[in-house]
Amino acid sequence: MAAPLKAEYPSVSEDFDSSAKIVKFVALKKPKEEGAAQEQELASFEALMLPHLDAAQNLAKWLLRNEQDAQDVVQEAYLRALKSFSGFHGSNGRAWLLTIVRNTSYTLMKKNRAADLTTTFDEEKHATDHESVNPAALLERTEDAELVREAMDHLAAEFREILVLRHLEGLSYKEIADIAQIPPGTVMSRLARARAKLKECLAARIGKEK
Amino acid sequence: MNCEEATELMDGYLDGELDPITGQTIEQHLRECDKCNQAYKAHALLIRSISDRTPYYKAPAGLRERIQSSLREEIAERSPQSVSRDILSLFRSKQSERQAVPFGTQWSWLALAATIVLAAVIASNLVPRLQTPGADQLLATQLIASHVRSLMANHLTDVASSDQHTVKPWLDAKLDFAPAVADLGSEGFPLIGGRLDYLDNRPVAALVYQRRKHFINLFVWPAESGSTGVDKRITRQGYQLLHWVDSDFNYWAVSDVSDNDLQAFKQVFEKQLPRR
Repeated sequence: MAAPLKAEYPSVSEDFDSSAKIVKFVALKKPKEEGAAQEQELASFEALMLPHLDAAQNLAKWLLRNEQDAQDVVQEAYLRALKSFSGFHGSNGRAWLLTIVRNTSYTLMKKNRAADLTTTFDEEKHATDHESVNPAALLERTEDAELVREAMDHLAAEFREILVLRHLEGLSYKEIADIAQIPPGTVMSRLARARAKLKECLAARIGKEK
Repeated sequence: MNCEEATELMDGYLDGELDPITGQTIEQHLRECDKCNQAYKAHALLIRSISDRTPYYKAPAGLRERIQSSLREEIAERSPQSVSRDILSLFRSKQSERQAVPFGTQWSWLALAATIVLAAVIASNLVPRLQTPGADQLLATQLIASHVRSLMANHLTDVASSDQHTVKPWLDAKLDFAPAVADLGSEGFPLIGGRLDYLDNRPVAALVYQRRKHFINLFVWPAESGSTGVDKRITRQGYQLLHWVDSDFNYWAVSDVSDNDLQAFKQVFEKQLPRR
């Protein structure tokens, strides 16, 4: 009985301790199962997260104001997201991913320039009397997307972020509070300030060109 | 409400984020105060132009592929994580070390084993986290396995009947809960029968429905109180999984029908659910 067994399975020996057999079995079998489970995890991660790639890129680019940095951050954020995917139990994949994109962006911004985090909008310089600008003219000019982009880029990161989340992603105050990590009660006032700043900035730009 | 308060709440009002009563108070004020009403109209225009005029940066071509390949690398490099403690203890036994060495041809296994030991040692520090490795993902794997098994082993139903009044009492007698059973034959999802199954460490009811030539396994078990009903959709290995929760039960529908069919199934099922 032992001989044919040996011939067929040369690695099995009579005195092989039973626990060692289990160990070997584990070593043989585990990696394959793990591989399949990981494949499945990856498939489900991609199905849930890749649809939000544009949203991720949009937020990163608005925060970093640089195409290459944005792409690097998005790629890094996806890796981070995969690593903590087991902690994702919610249904709001976009908000979850955007939180990671946001945090990854801030990490890079801190590394690059602390200045990015504080307002780069010089209120002294832009303290033109925007009330004197005809609101109709202002709104007519805001049809110029390039002008809006320039004005947005001059806002502080916290304002760019909240304007993007609300106006481009259409997220609720609650979702914005989660992503920007601020109390829900703060969202409305910060959004109001961001819009007021953007309006000032637009008015200043229009005034300058005149 | 005075003008100052109205101005403060204007953004929330325009974003539709105020409670209805505060919203009505603002509307009232806007009707009465011309200055605020003008400011409101201007602000509404500004908000709309910001939404319309701000450029949206889409992901450039190639980024998706780069991300996918880096995700694959990450998965490939990842050491097996869910090696459990009992396996760890096996590896720690001196015997396995002593026994493994004489097998000269098994060096690659040894290297593999060493990797697993290392991973297990690292993982043992993370055991609390690993005990719930993506509950949904794990459950999804179990659900698909159960679905596939039910079709493979010729054990689709324990009680084969299209009569909900046969299936329900049968299940009620076997389980410590009483799932709702409805025949949806008139809606294109005939009831085939019911089955007992074991998922997520508990016995569950599996209701089997048919959609054309396809089967839908609907797994049902009691929901924890206070669970919220947000639907989940998972696609995996060509199977569709749809999860929803109502006040009493967790539902997981698993099938190879299309996502649309499964959504339709859920709607029909919920509509037919006897009101309790």
